[in-house]
Amino acid sequence: MIDRDVFHGFLEAIHHLPEMAQPAPLSDDERVSRAKSVMRAKTDRGLALDLEACVHCGYCSEACHFYQGTQDPRYSPSRKLDLLRRVHARESSAFAPLQRLFTPDITVAELQAWQELVYDACTECGRCSMICPMGINIARGVNVMREALFEAGLAPLELMAVAQEQAGRGTVFGVGPAELKRTLDALRAQGIAIPLDEPKADIMLVSTVIDVLLYQDALAATARILNHLGLNWTLRSAGFEAANFGLLSGSETLQKAATKRLVDEALAIGARTVILPECGHAYPALRWEGRLDNGDPLPFEVLAVSEFVGREITSGRLHVTPGEQGRKITYHDACKLARHGGVMDEPRAALKALGMELTETTPTAEKNWCCGGGAGAFLINRAAPLRHKAWEIKRRQIDDTGADTVVVSCASCRLNFMAGAEADQWSTRIDSVVEMVARQLPA
Amino acid sequence: MDLLDWARGPLLTGAIAVFVAGVGWRLFCLWRMPPAHGPGAPARHAFGVIDAVAASLTRMVPRGGFRPSATLVTVNPYLFHVGLAVIFFGYAPHIAFVRRLTGLSWPALPDMVMYLAAALTIVSLLMALLFRLSDAVLKKISSADDWITWTITFLPLITGMALVSEPSAATLAHEQAIYRGPLAIHLLSLELLLVWFPFGKLMHAFLVLPSRMQLATFFGRRGVHS
Repeated sequence: MIDRDVFHGFLEAIHHLPEMAQPAPLSDDERVSRAKSVMRAKTDRGLALDLEACVHCGYCSEACHFYQGTQDPRYSPSRKLDLLRRVHARESSAFAPLQRLFTPDITVAELQAWQELVYDACTECGRCSMICPMGINIARGVNVMREALFEAGLAPLELMAVAQEQAGRGTVFGVGPAELKRTLDALRAQGIAIPLDEPKADIMLVSTVIDVLLYQDALAATARILNHLGLNWTLRSAGFEAANFGLLSGSETLQKAATKRLVDEALAIGARTVILPECGHAYPALRWEGRLDNGDPLPFEVLAVSEFVGREITSGRLHVTPGEQGRKITYHDACKLARHGGVMDEPRAALKALGMELTETTPTAEKNWCCGGGAGAFLINRAAPLRHKAWEIKRRQIDDTGADTVVVSCASCRLNFMAGAEADQWSTRIDSVVEMVARQLPA
Repeated sequence: MDLLDWARGPLLTGAIAVFVAGVGWRLFCLWRMPPAHGPGAPARHAFGVIDAVAASLTRMVPRGGFRPSATLVTVNPYLFHVGLAVIFFGYAPHIAFVRRLTGLSWPALPDMVMYLAAALTIVSLLMALLFRLSDAVLKKISSADDWITWTITFLPLITGMALVSEPSAATLAHEQAIYRGPLAIHLLSLELLLVWFPFGKLMHAFLVLPSRMQLATFFGRRGVHS
């Protein structure tokens, strides 16, 4: 059961995040110089190809929930890479000396203007790349822009605050090992066995601040499923946080540090599998981008929890009892999990096994609309009206299915759905894959 | 030497040299950039070069599942791309021009088909210009490159149409070009296009395949159909 007071407390905490940020005092020249330095360093062959290939057809706008929600041409995805394109044209393109004569250098005012474009008005959902006739990975370019702005001290204060907290104290929203233990103790009091800091285990379960504070049922559900399967697993105090605010804010150093904490703990206990919670961005961050210090691939398997349960059900190792017949549900693909992660079939396999009527949204899977709250956008206070415009597309998409329940497998999406539902008095039930599966475990 | 002799001789040679060297230099400069990090994680599904090429080719087909923009906006680029290809590769005098340069030739399409293709392409390019001038997004994201490229693509069409006064067989039967001035202008417009090609977005002709393959591989390794 979700504690609405905790939900509102969480929203209140977000309102106060800017007060906690400690922006670096930098001159305008330093900001531009730092941003350009990141842009130069990050412009590899792949990004340069993306920057040069754009034909300015504008199709990407067709796919962007922020443009479609507002019809504001400033939010055209292609335009979000303009500063990067100019720096590349002037400094590293084939005709850079010529380009410098006609291409103006970027300014601090432009960097400040681009903060809204790449943080508030882009969730790096990657839908634009699905329609781009040139096949440009716009989300990757936007992420480089975030890195440049973070280095220039121009990340939104909310994300800066959380990133600084995660880098400094190792906590997120004040949640560290002590708060984790408190939550686990509360769940244990309900009779759920939850191993913590076992020295060796086959599976390392990772959680996240939102589950520790708000979606404790998701954490409990995961524990119940793992116990039901009789698996040897543990959580680790020193590496339990899946959320990676380095990735979201644009700090590569912090991103690597947050990933390293998880990797080190998994290696320390000899885990063969790391199971990530219902947290969208954590999946590509570890599953697809995670590496060992020496650059080698991770020596363990990384699974999203919805991927894990779907796989276990498909393989016949996990059985569920039939659920409420006639209940109509739909599934929302989190962008980072589906489009950027490839986890699309497994959550559906799990939901189909529950015996309810699963109706797909239109479009769905890799073409699904983003909910508007991903990639840290949910934490940016001033972005709330814009986010709500994007959410309205999502809401209509869900409404059109006629489902009474929308099932998600990303806590960020779930937060955004809850906020949107509260604002719109939207009555559709919002549920989680892992919680639904756990509710239908055989007694 | 009159203008046509210049246009057929040193200026054409120069334009082709700029085109080849420019395109080559631009591709070389891209290739010499530091490579992207190799994939760290094992692929969900094996995804090789053939898969990437196949995905690149299927990307030519309009994607479903997106907000339908005006049908014309989606159809129009197909019209002028196909039209330009038909005109360049299908018109008998153009084939003769290529044969004179390279020795290669192929059967021409009937003149009527060419006239229709040229008319459709001209209308299509004018529509493209209209969209760029009137659509809020296109206006916002357009750069000088877009306007220059449109103009330079349009000029050979217009100057070429100005030359058409008789069936292509009759044109080719003349021992000497009868409209030397207009033909020189037409050739010069082509040479302008060749010279501009490496510097602007016409380069997408060479970048489209690697760019699509790169994205297809990124998604394909993750098991995502792009």
